[in-house]
Amino acid sequence: MEPSTGYTPRGFFGRHAQAYLFMLPAILLAGAVSLYPIVYAFFLSLFRTRYLERVAFIGLGNYRQLFADPAFRQNLIYSLTYVFGSLIVVLPFSLGVAILLNQRVRYRAVFRALIILPWVVSQTIIALLWGWLLNPDFGPGIYALELLGVGKVGLFTDTRSALPTLIGVNVWGSYPMAVILLLAALQTIPKELKEAARVDGTSRWQHFAHITLPLVQPTLLVATIMLTLLYFNMVTLVLILTGGGPLGATEVLSLRAFKEGFDFWHVGYAATLGIVIFFFNVVFSLLYIRLLRQEGLQ
Amino acid sequence: MTTKTLVYVLLVCVVVLAVVPLLWGLSTALKPKDEVVTYPPRWIPNPSTLRNFSVVLRETSMPRYFANSLLIGLCSVVLTLGIAAHAGYALARFWFPGKNVLAFGILATAMIPGISILVPLYALASKVKLYDGYSILVIVCTAWQVPTVMWMLKGFFETVPRELDESALIDGCTRWTAFYRVILPLARPGLAAAALLTFVFVWNDFLIAFTLTVSNSRRVVAVGLYQYISQYGIEWGELMAAVMLALLPVLGMFLALQRHFIGGLTAGAMKG
Repeated sequence: MEPSTGYTPRGFFGRHAQAYLFMLPAILLAGAVSLYPIVYAFFLSLFRTRYLERVAFIGLGNYRQLFADPAFRQNLIYSLTYVFGSLIVVLPFSLGVAILLNQRVRYRAVFRALIILPWVVSQTIIALLWGWLLNPDFGPGIYALELLGVGKVGLFTDTRSALPTLIGVNVWGSYPMAVILLLAALQTIPKELKEAARVDGTSRWQHFAHITLPLVQPTLLVATIMLTLLYFNMVTLVLILTGGGPLGATEVLSLRAFKEGFDFWHVGYAATLGIVIFFFNVVFSLLYIRLLRQEGLQ
Repeated sequence: MTTKTLVYVLLVCVVVLAVVPLLWGLSTALKPKDEVVTYPPRWIPNPSTLRNFSVVLRETSMPRYFANSLLIGLCSVVLTLGIAAHAGYALARFWFPGKNVLAFGILATAMIPGISILVPLYALASKVKLYDGYSILVIVCTAWQVPTVMWMLKGFFETVPRELDESALIDGCTRWTAFYRVILPLARPGLAAAALLTFVFVWNDFLIAFTLTVSNSRRVVAVGLYQYISQYGIEWGELMAAVMLALLPVLGMFLALQRHFIGGLTAGAMKG
């Protein structure tokens, strides 16, 4: 008699056929739309191209050209400035906001909803809203600067202020993600710990430094990984807000890759930039994972 | 000032920071043409008008773009949930050779940056004649969402007790029917969270749509907004009206279903 568990195929593969069938669509999709393209990108990066046509195999020629390109070094410096400049503001700010939201206050749910609102605003819309807010002719942001005595300035037309302003806009768009993660971590801190600290008469600062900070540190690191990758790979916000200008002062590496690909149609060169960006992602991830491991061991 | 008051003051400051750009956009959208370009800027539109909204809805292609985004969003949600739920269930319930390699392999593809594979995807889409179609957008959006959603749902399935699968099997279900009739309905909160995150991802996506489509009839909301200025001249009032309309669905869903969103994110969304 067959047991009533439906059909029971025989043999090694048969025994696991169901599991593989459940997995198959995900495997095929990830393989065809993520894995194959990154391999294909590497393949393309080894050729000199004309539009989509591979003209000649040049080995690592594209990479040699890239590393000798002073503009590439500039792009990389802007990217790293963008990433770390944003992180330095977002992480402490978000931790502060998360601690505020973790207090027992009235209308906490309303505060939380409004504060993490920018999270659902797309990069396209962030760029359009802030471009208009900081418009040098009619924007209230510029008016505020004028009132502060800075004068009526085009923040995105000056090569010195463009990147810091862009970082500021990026902070607005990305702090909610860190707040959500940190708030979730703070809420797991047991109440007894807080009460015990209060009984012991520790100061607010001691409480923060010796209880809160060590407990949220792993989450802080996870947020740092997610944000680093988000910032380093970001195209849309920069493309729409500044287009890399003025005079290339905000042309980060990811935007350069986009422009090489879809403005100039240097397909092989764009693929090379894509591979270099991928390499940086791997390095960042491994670095942070190592830090996370070390922390786990302590 | 007591600490409590200080907390409130600071919270209000952060709220102001968070909503001011949105309010300025809304204010602009409600202003008549000449009011938009006054300096110093005025916050309260006087008189206010809905003309910008009616122009966007009646005289531009924006409605078409909204329909396109909705269609691609819904298709991607269905496809993503379908594929990710099956994979997540297999990971939560079965042992099979190569399981860990497959699980982490699929998850690792979420770490491949979009910008690194856009050019190859463009080339491939042209080669297989899917360039400038709806289907390529659905396929790419789905593929980029499946790994994280699979991981999220695996977590949800693991919270459903195994005994439920087993009793369904004893009652004569096959693995498939047990999954569809017993387990899937129990994982509804997880599916809802995954659906919301996927829909917002597709609705907000600019890069995939911008690079893989070209004709006006295939354009989505984000791309339409970007090209608004070059297409219709710089009409900030109309542009902000279009922006507000584009924000409405995600903002509405977010405010109504916050808990699902936050649950989804903290369960581990990786690709931004």
